[in-house]
Amino acid sequence: MSDQVQISCRNVWKVFGPDPAGFMKRHGGQPTTEALASEGYIGAVQDVSFDVGAGEILIVMGLSGSGKSTLIRCITRLNDPTTGEIDFEGNNILTAKPKELIELRRHKMGMVFQNFGLLPHRSVLSNVAFPLEIQGIDRRERNKRAKEMIELVGLGGREDYFPRELSGGQQQRVGIARSLAVEPDVWFLDEPFSALDPLIRTEMQDEFIRLQQLLKKTIVFITHDFEEATRLADRIGIMKDGRLVQLSTPEQMVLHPANDYVAEFARNAPRDRIISVKAIMEPAAQNTPTDHPVTGTDRIGAAAERVLTADHPVLVIDHEGLPVGQVDRHAMTKALFGAV
Amino acid sequence: MKRNLKLAVASIATSVAMALTLNAHAADVPESDEPIIIVQNNWTSQLVLSNVVGNVLSELGYEVEYVPSDSQLQFTAIANGDMHFQVEAWEGSMKSAFEKAVEEGMVDAGAHEAVTREEWWIPNYVLETCPDATNWEGLNACADQFATAETSPKGRFVGPPADWGKNYADRVNSLEMDFEAINVGQAATLWAELQSAYDRKEPIVLFNWTPNFIESKFEGTFVDFPEPAPECFTDAAWGPNPNATGDCGAPRGGWLKKAAWSGIADTWPKAWSVLQRVNFSNAQIAAAALMVDVDGMSPEEAAEQWAADNADVIAGWVE
Amino acid sequence: MDIAHTTDEARPWSGRALLALPLWQFFVVIAGGILLTTLWEGFARWPDDLVIPMKEWITRFFEWLGKEAAIGSYSFKDFTRAISDLLSYPLEWTEALLYRGIKPLGLPPIPWVAVVLGTAILGHWIGGWRLALFVGASMLYLSIFGLWKDSMRTLSIVLVAVPIAAAIGLFLGIRVTRSKRAAAIITPMFDLMQATPHMAYLVPVVVLFGFGQVPAMLATVIFAMPPMARCAILGIQTVPQDVIESGRMSGCTPRQLLWKVQLPTSKKTLMLGLNQVVMQTLAMVVIASLVGASGLGQKLLFSLQQLRLGAAVEQGLAIVLIAVVLDRLTQAYAYRETIHYSATTSFFQRHKHLLLFLFILIVTFIAANFHKELAILPKKMTFTLGREIDFAVREFSKNAYDYIGPVRDFITVSILLPIRDFYLWLPWPVLVGCIAVAGYRLGGFPVMTLTASLMLAIMLFGFWEPAMLTIYLVFSAVVICILIGVPIGVLASRSERIAKVTMTICDTLQTFPSFIYLIPVIMLFKVGDLSNIIAILAYATVPAVRYTYLGLKRVPEVLKEAAIANGCTPRQKFWKVEMPFAIPEIMLGVNQTIMMALAMTAITALIGSRDLGQEIYRALPTADTGRGLLAGLGIAAIGIIADRLISAWATKKKKNLGIE
Repeated sequence: MSDQVQISCRNVWKVFGPDPAGFMKRHGGQPTTEALASEGYIGAVQDVSFDVGAGEILIVMGLSGSGKSTLIRCITRLNDPTTGEIDFEGNNILTAKPKELIELRRHKMGMVFQNFGLLPHRSVLSNVAFPLEIQGIDRRERNKRAKEMIELVGLGGREDYFPRELSGGQQQRVGIARSLAVEPDVWFLDEPFSALDPLIRTEMQDEFIRLQQLLKKTIVFITHDFEEATRLADRIGIMKDGRLVQLSTPEQMVLHPANDYVAEFARNAPRDRIISVKAIMEPAAQNTPTDHPVTGTDRIGAAAERVLTADHPVLVIDHEGLPVGQVDRHAMTKALFGAV
Repeated sequence: MKRNLKLAVASIATSVAMALTLNAHAADVPESDEPIIIVQNNWTSQLVLSNVVGNVLSELGYEVEYVPSDSQLQFTAIANGDMHFQVEAWEGSMKSAFEKAVEEGMVDAGAHEAVTREEWWIPNYVLETCPDATNWEGLNACADQFATAETSPKGRFVGPPADWGKNYADRVNSLEMDFEAINVGQAATLWAELQSAYDRKEPIVLFNWTPNFIESKFEGTFVDFPEPAPECFTDAAWGPNPNATGDCGAPRGGWLKKAAWSGIADTWPKAWSVLQRVNFSNAQIAAAALMVDVDGMSPEEAAEQWAADNADVIAGWVE
Repeated sequence: MDIAHTTDEARPWSGRALLALPLWQFFVVIAGGILLTTLWEGFARWPDDLVIPMKEWITRFFEWLGKEAAIGSYSFKDFTRAISDLLSYPLEWTEALLYRGIKPLGLPPIPWVAVVLGTAILGHWIGGWRLALFVGASMLYLSIFGLWKDSMRTLSIVLVAVPIAAAIGLFLGIRVTRSKRAAAIITPMFDLMQATPHMAYLVPVVVLFGFGQVPAMLATVIFAMPPMARCAILGIQTVPQDVIESGRMSGCTPRQLLWKVQLPTSKKTLMLGLNQVVMQTLAMVVIASLVGASGLGQKLLFSLQQLRLGAAVEQGLAIVLIAVVLDRLTQAYAYRETIHYSATTSFFQRHKHLLLFLFILIVTFIAANFHKELAILPKKMTFTLGREIDFAVREFSKNAYDYIGPVRDFITVSILLPIRDFYLWLPWPVLVGCIAVAGYRLGGFPVMTLTASLMLAIMLFGFWEPAMLTIYLVFSAVVICILIGVPIGVLASRSERIAKVTMTICDTLQTFPSFIYLIPVIMLFKVGDLSNIIAILAYATVPAVRYTYLGLKRVPEVLKEAAIANGCTPRQKFWKVEMPFAIPEIMLGVNQTIMMALAMTAITALIGSRDLGQEIYRALPTADTGRGLLAGLGIAAIGIIADRLISAWATKKKKNLGIE
């Protein structure tokens, strides 16, 4: 993660109804929930602001109807936001002309869809090469690059298959290959694994992690699966009724949920794989034994056995081996099972 | 418009070319490569005869095209030059459209020797039960034999389509006949009625005309009505009913004419002279229809057969 | 009214809602209407001198358009001629290939052997051996029954009209999906076109374009285009959102999105549209010959004219076979899965079908020079059952008449004529009033205004009597259609075997040129209202059968199982569970039946009647555009009135049943 901001959203609203712009104007750009309801408008995205840093994986999650899909479509301008400002690499994307927008999508953005969005009449190769074809790149060049992408997602040898001949997981690999074919700066994934069986879903998440380690893209990822979010995210934003309720690291979300709604999500989270030792340690005492210390950046799941089987607080060290604190059985139990 | 223009240009070009030719033949045929368009209708004799005429022209070297058309609208098309020649125009059913088109510039290309008749008609077996049905008074005497459930006790007369310009209901009224005239929608309906009645020897009186293929398939006779005079329609005192006009039949010898586009004479002079001489008699027309309707030839084959049988007639047209 | 409402609520599916309507409104209208006739004659029969002379205005307008209208130095006539010329080029080329030959080059047309084999090869390429055999045999029929040249003439028009109609339809469909304004204009226009009998379009076409092959093709194109547009709209609108978004995110311009994403993705729906265009084009073959199309349609009418029913049946069958061949080919193509060749597949392997066809083409071309039979089968070698069919029909009518005659007389005199007299007596305020009340009760104010004013317009433009006769014929026929069609549909839904047979018969009845039925019907039933009604039946019963079948098939299994579990006898299950559920669908079938019956009146006009269909048919030879168009629109108006009332009712029912 770097400090450079790739995408910046400020007070983004997307309102559906007979005259959204007029409605927003009448209410000074900040309509209340009551105003929306009484005038028959739906606030799909309400006053959302956040930044995405370059190379960061931001996961937006929420239940269906929470506005997460609308939000990602506002950022890509598949939908036009009603009001607000969205900067993409420093340029306001909302004032971009259709032509500039097309250029942006051709070179800077890639997107993966829940139901894959493959063209049924085209082969795997031709699907992956499609964005390049659109740009007018000649056949040999685009097929070469498409083949590379197909190899990358592990579908080598199936270039001539048609989407209907592939399994769901394979189809989504094609979707991923296609979205990466233009080598985009930012990668949007809209519930990419939701339509897949649970087993395949985990496999594809691993694949995603593998690819991201290779490519290091800036990623905006939508899901309704909290476990998936915690597994993949640098930061998670939770949406409810169009509003961004909390935006923080998974660890913060589990340890300090902003409200009951977030806590409800966090309740079933795999805490052992989210919370780091560092987050629950206390300053080391003078007499803490130094044998078999645990590392602060480790997840508590990895340190649990050592801490729980020790009859004394265990020393926590950093990567250089220097002590940074200690953690005891009590803190560990509390962290593992939530506030008891 | 465009076609006319093209033809005009073509005819000018050919006349210039002709003027330049030193060995002044009568005319180099064809004078124009534009096709001569011959109208085809949907009854047998017309189809055969139009092919006969077309074949004569193509043998002279003309490009000939056949275009099917409706019996009423064809005249406007001929006046406009969309089509060029019609071999059979009937007085009984086409008189008004023909005359209107002549006013618009269509050319009356002369009458055939053949005469036509359109009148009430009965199959001969009717005469067994109604011996005097060959004239209208005799027919009227046994009107009840022709009754159907709807018309009873009156007899039923199966009339032509209502738009053929014949008001038989009026004639029935004027002659105070015990008949009810019904109209069919199309000629085919007449023949279906006739066939069905004929097979069962059921009395029927219906509209028919000559020359027509019916006479070669069914035996029957026309019913004689008072021969019309102009006064029939203006003077009530005239005719059997002293109190009504229209108490008369159709003419027993109506004309059969040819119609042509006014541009033929200039565009294809030689063809025009042939077309003017084309002339059919009743017997020749009946023979042509017979080959198709009874012998089952196609109109094209019948035309060839007819031409072979009547080589001297055709020679007379071509000279 | 409250009572009516509660019964409605209590048994929403009982279908008795209609009976529970407050009938007093109808009584008031009927009594009032009859009372009015005593005050002024005009309430019984609208006076002729108060008729709006719209007929004359329209006729004069078209005459002016055809003769005088001009922009600058270009007359409208030049414009229509330009269109004709434009259309005549592709037609001439196709004709040259199929049956004329290319004269300037001295090239003969494609030999029939090559066309038959070519079609079979195409069938194999698209759908395998069975399709190949079927289409090949069908084409062979055209040749050995001596119908080759006429079939090729007809096929030429079809082959040129279909792409043009499809292209225009596609274009209009795309416009509708892209612009609300275009949708607002085009969609209702299509609705109106669909309800207007085809014959009515012919009149203005004749006035503006004259007679002949090209005007006939033009009329065909106009008529065959709407289904393509409808399918294009449907196809484009049902492309999955994901696919569209993926296209946009790939950086498609709107044009790229349309041509590379939306249209290819909706291929199946578009092919269905193309299929519809083909079927409609062939449905027009006979009617188009009324304005000068040569080929099978013209020959068929001529055969009927000569009372050669057998020949007409063979020609009609040829039209059906061409339709079925094109139908199967387009359908198979729509569902054909693209096959991927591996890189090692040789050029010959990939293009074996094309190469084989080219080979056959060249061989037959050469061989045809020596053996003329290969170019076109000489008449000696062709075959016909015409006389046998004629004989059979005549024998049948001769023998059956004794039984049918009395029945015919009874029905005509005791049932039909009194009903007809009733319709003709009906004072207009009564009918318009009843339509208004029904419209209001079923669909509220908008339906009432539309239906009542359409009926009024029919009267004001001077079509009351033909319209009444149309309503009389159509509704008498529809009642019988329902009495016959619904039980057959029920029967079909009980057994797959019966269903298969029934549906095949339905398909054939609908493609077979309806003109042919008329002759045997007249032979058996004579000229009269009953013949009209029977001819309508032959065609219009089909939707009643089809929709009943579909409606019953769609009853959810769970519902039937629940009925059995509740101890229903089969009879109870049928009447209390299945039928009520299927009723809305069946009503849509009735709706379609009415539409078909209305369309048929333009064709049964050939038998002879005085209804709106006859007005259209009469307008054609006299080029009376106003009469033809208005009569056509009158039929459309009656159709729309029936449609709105029935749809309003069905929507209400469906809502109550919770379907959609």
